[in-house]
Amino acid sequence: MSGRIAGLGDRELVVFEWDGQEVNAWQGDTIAMALWAQDQISVRNSSSYGQPRGVLCNMGICYDCLVIVDGVTLRSCTTVVKPGMKVGRGGKP
Amino acid sequence: MSSANTSQVDAVLEADVGIVGAGPGGMAAAARLAAAGVRVVVLDEGQRCGGQIYRQLPHGMHNDGVIPESPSHDHGHDLIKAFEGHAKRGGSIELVRGATVWDAQPGRLWFEQDGASRLLRCGHIVLAPGAYDRNIPFPGWTLPGVMTAGALQVMVRGFGVVPGKRALVVGSGPLLLPTVTSLLGAGVKVVGALEASSRWRALRAGPAVAFHAARRREAMWYLKQLWRSRVKLQWGWTVFACEGDGRVQRAIIGKVDAQGRPRKGTERTIECDVVGAGFGLVPSIEIGMRLGAKTHVLPARGGHCLVVDGEQRTAVAKVFAVGETCGIGGAEVASAEGDLAAAAILGELHGTTVDAKIVSRARSERRAADSMLGAFAPLPGLNELARPDTIVCRCEDITRLRAQEAAALHGGSMRAIKIGCRAGMGPCQARICGPSLQAMATGVNACGMDVPVVQVPLKPVRSETILMAPE
Repeated sequence: MSGRIAGLGDRELVVFEWDGQEVNAWQGDTIAMALWAQDQISVRNSSSYGQPRGVLCNMGICYDCLVIVDGVTLRSCTTVVKPGMKVGRGGKP
Repeated sequence: MSSANTSQVDAVLEADVGIVGAGPGGMAAAARLAAAGVRVVVLDEGQRCGGQIYRQLPHGMHNDGVIPESPSHDHGHDLIKAFEGHAKRGGSIELVRGATVWDAQPGRLWFEQDGASRLLRCGHIVLAPGAYDRNIPFPGWTLPGVMTAGALQVMVRGFGVVPGKRALVVGSGPLLLPTVTSLLGAGVKVVGALEASSRWRALRAGPAVAFHAARRREAMWYLKQLWRSRVKLQWGWTVFACEGDGRVQRAIIGKVDAQGRPRKGTERTIECDVVGAGFGLVPSIEIGMRLGAKTHVLPARGGHCLVVDGEQRTAVAKVFAVGETCGIGGAEVASAEGDLAAAAILGELHGTTVDAKIVSRARSERRAADSMLGAFAPLPGLNELARPDTIVCRCEDITRLRAQEAAALHGGSMRAIKIGCRAGMGPCQARICGPSLQAMATGVNACGMDVPVVQVPLKPVRSETILMAPE
């Protein structure tokens, strides 16, 4: 189970859409970290076998956490959440 | 957070010096140049300066002792303060956030930022792109919840997010310790801390630590943290496999021999919901190679790295490289080399000579790092953790067996393996599988692997970015 570390201060909420559901993020979160804080750790299906994938490197190297943001395939670990963003599971990289 | 819009930003930026990376190397170089009145633009893929090692929380959050910081972070705070002082409005440093560099020529750096295609024109270039985690494939390493040690650090120190309840830390080298302390600070139970090297092999790092005041202080601090938390470092152990339904739920751990080969009959099962694997770092050399810099192989520094002269010059005029791209060495090496590169550039611009103290500081930091990290050079036997049906190339879903078949049919070069089965041809561009793919496919555990092939785009970007690239 995941969540937020207490005592680091909090930030304004940003609401975005994940797989058709509204999700709360904190301002400055990347998509990957906003989802992780909600325990949504699988964000993509792998190219051939459709296996669940999530964060591997968390710094924009591995492209394993790709998601579809308003129709464009982007790295969820480097893309900062914006209000109203529509995000869906990534498929084939 | 800035909401940069494609129509609102200038497509072309100009600077006297362009720096890639706002970690310790890039920050130190930028601060010295800015103090001399040189206009600097720094491109970084993150949202704040600090790099991976001194990653800052998003604006509005502060770590006042919640997540413990080792003594070396004082150095990081000093670097950040100096850098941010010059990066304020009207200062000499401009930090371009969220910038992915995808092509480079001397005096030109093309990058994508927030969907916009942009170009930085500059006189000198300083490359400080850092490094990334070395990945060793093992059964179950693709399960969500299994990630690099660096990824855990970013999660905790960069975003204040709790990774899970029970974490297993595995790998090799000095970065396991900060991973453990970050997890403890986040309130996560560390159910195991496994160092693949034997205690005796690691002891070779002893003299380098003992005779370097800052590294000694750092080591003592970590040992104290471990002792307080009752987390015991297990030498000669590593992860054999991870299992779970859609996410990691348990790990099979076991002992390895002096070469890192798994020892049968030593297996144990541990319940965990997070696994952080840190098998050392790999220098990020792609931009330097694209610019024409020479490379060489230094196993103690992580493999292929850029060649520089005594003042951080690459073989290409006006292109300098500092820190991890010249071989893994840590933050102190990076900042000392960044400082030296800046002094050398000022020398070229103003016809002055570089202060001998700056040169000797960079050399001694590098020497100390080399003698310490030699004790943690990659263990070739760890490549035997992957089974025939283990995915080795995550982008293209290629198993070890398929890579082996391709190598048998087409030849054992990296190029032949890529052509034969597409392993290493996905969007990570072999940054994840590359360092061990060839060894796993051929069964030859040699360190002299093929030089990575660098192609444009250096990282995947949108086709519009390439088509609309400014000249």
